[in-house]
Amino acid sequence: MSKQVFIPRDSLNQALERLSSKMNVWVPAASGSNKCGSEFVPYRPDLIPLLNRQTTTPPKAVVFPQVETLLSYEYTKDPDNPSRVKIQLDDTSAGSPTLIFGARPCDARGFLLFDQVFTRGPFTDKYYRDRRENSYFATLVCLEWDSACFCSSVGSGPTDMEGSDLRVTPLKDGYLVEALNERAEPILSLMEGDVPTDAQQQDARKLQEEASRQRVGNVDLTRSATDFKGRFEDKAYWRAMVSQCLSCGVCTFVCPTCYCFSITDEMQGLKGERLRSWDSCMFFQYTLEASGHNPRPTRFERYRNRVGHKFSFIPEKYNGMIGCCGCGRCIRSCPVSIDIRRVVENLKENACVCA
Amino acid sequence: MEASATTRLHQEVEASIGRLSTVLGWGAGYDPLHMTPLFVRSPEDIARLVWNPLCVQNLTGYLVKSPGVQPPEEGKKIGICVRGCDSRSLVALIQEKLISRENLYIIGIPCRGTVDIRRLMNESGLSNIRSVRIEKDLLIVDDANGAHNLPLERFLARRCLRCRHPNPVIHDVLLDEPVTPRTTAEDAYRDVESLEAQSLDQRRAFWSVELDRCLRCYACRNACPLCICQNRCIAETRDPRWLTQRVNLPEKFLYHFIHALHLAGRCTECGECERVCPMEIPVTLIKEKLNQITRDLLHYEAGLDPEAVPPLLTFNPAEAGI
Ligand code: SF4
Ligand code: SF4
Ligand code: SF4
Ligand code: SF4
Repeated sequence: MSKQVFIPRDSLNQALERLSSKMNVWVPAASGSNKCGSEFVPYRPDLIPLLNRQTTTPPKAVVFPQVETLLSYEYTKDPDNPSRVKIQLDDTSAGSPTLIFGARPCDARGFLLFDQVFTRGPFTDKYYRDRRENSYFATLVCLEWDSACFCSSVGSGPTDMEGSDLRVTPLKDGYLVEALNERAEPILSLMEGDVPTDAQQQDARKLQEEASRQRVGNVDLTRSATDFKGRFEDKAYWRAMVSQCLSCGVCTFVCPTCYCFSITDEMQGLKGERLRSWDSCMFFQYTLEASGHNPRPTRFERYRNRVGHKFSFIPEKYNGMIGCCGCGRCIRSCPVSIDIRRVVENLKENACVCA
Repeated sequence: MEASATTRLHQEVEASIGRLSTVLGWGAGYDPLHMTPLFVRSPEDIARLVWNPLCVQNLTGYLVKSPGVQPPEEGKKIGICVRGCDSRSLVALIQEKLISRENLYIIGIPCRGTVDIRRLMNESGLSNIRSVRIEKDLLIVDDANGAHNLPLERFLARRCLRCRHPNPVIHDVLLDEPVTPRTTAEDAYRDVESLEAQSLDQRRAFWSVELDRCLRCYACRNACPLCICQNRCIAETRDPRWLTQRVNLPEKFLYHFIHALHLAGRCTECGECERVCPMEIPVTLIKEKLNQITRDLLHYEAGLDPEAVPPLLTFNPAEAGI
């Protein structure tokens, strides 16, 4: 079995078509004919994959849907003894094979943190695990970073394939696709690409090497855990850094590593569903306690949590792993252009924190 | 043009900062195309103030949303930079007694329109911006691919193309000569009208596709200076729980129509709700429709006269059929 194939640009849809007959295939595509952004959407034959830019939202929802049913339940009364109520629960979960084609290193990397949280602790979240084990990432060597990107600042980079199953190198007239592990090989053969020529292989190596030498982001944000603690009580710091924040959910919802969720029961009559949905630490309700007390009453404590979680608590808990993959989405989509790099960089004791 | 407007702004703020506790303006953000709201709290911050067509945020919400700008200390006022549209938000907030005029020092900026930055970047293929200069009606952007000369007019935001009050309607000082409005009251609703020219099915399809992409991130609500329920918004309250956590169309529809209805006759069409949407959903259109109705039925335009009472914030007991 060949470990790499070449897909000519004009045969990409055919390859995706073949894949989509065997599994769910998600690809980046424009958000609409009059939109600037793009999103991951299920492949359909008339779709034009948009592989030359980062999507507005990461493929997070493919593996971790914004809302999912954890269980459905139904109460029934015993006709012979009406005071007895029986409850029937259904908590089946199932994942079906899913390929995310055209992810970027930052997109795939987001799930490395999810894996820690949902599958490596004392409990395994079977809903996440079932989808994750069935997910495959065909990840692009990234050539299109912009001024909001900073993957190299958090220990990743434009050729980082950690968490990916296939590498896709965009060449002049097509894509060199390589299987990076055994489980990806059947996917590669399903694509039925050409055998890459020596020239194509050389071009791909050259491109990969050039990209791997790039440093995307000019600061090092991997050593901020202690600095964060030093700033925790420094009200003036947070006021200077994030007075503009609107406390909306944009930064968390577009973030590939934000995994916080809420659980609610939705009942109608005697039937109901227990839902898990994305939550956001930027929302007031996130830490609102039943007493009415809220330990994070304002945007300052909430933004502080976002920074602390990603750059201090997570690295301490998970062996230095940073809870941010440097995709820059929270910077790009923030309505008031708050720059998380600046907030983290300035945690250092002597940094200038003028307003 | 940019240099001189910014310089005049610096001079103005330097002259007045002694009487002000904070000045809200704009400053450079993470790259030369992106500006961010700037809270000027000391004279050293003044040099960072910027005014140019990339200053896109409406700053008036910071006056009312908690924790808002600290109330001014002994006899000081809060300074705020406003374009025409922002000044209308101020008027609405003053009408509703959410802020008091006496506490404000309003630096009015006649505005020729601001840029739709996302569209600018997308249509001109910009990335890794190195520098931006503004000369007359040209935006000169230097990026990884060299220099681009981009006519401002081509990249103005939709809200600016339909703006009929580019000159601040309320101010203590004006930074520039007044400019000519781009649109008349008659033309202001042509986007709504062209949408309404479509069949009911087409319109349903339009809104289904648009709102289906809504993330329920509530940036549109939080950025709106007049959306003031804050932590008590029905979209999120848990007790009572009006909306489920589902991300189906009915939930999103309800949220957006509640936002719009709560803004009926109050919305000043500043367009922030649409500008901030990461998913590019044209949500201001819904409010424009309600304002069009307000104009036709109640002959009222929001945010122009601090003394006027918005029609839906009052009622006439003698009115027939009430
Ligand atoms: S940082 Fe930006 S995106 Fe995040 S909550 Fe604040 S305003 Fe919203
Ligand atoms: S915190 Fe921001 S840059 Fe980091 S992964 Fe999340 S969205 Fe991307
Ligand atoms: S609803 Fe939108 S356009 Fe109207 S005042 Fe609020 S943010 Fe501005
Ligand atoms: S800003 Fe956009 S995505 Fe967010 S809630 Fe509003 S319409 Fe939905």
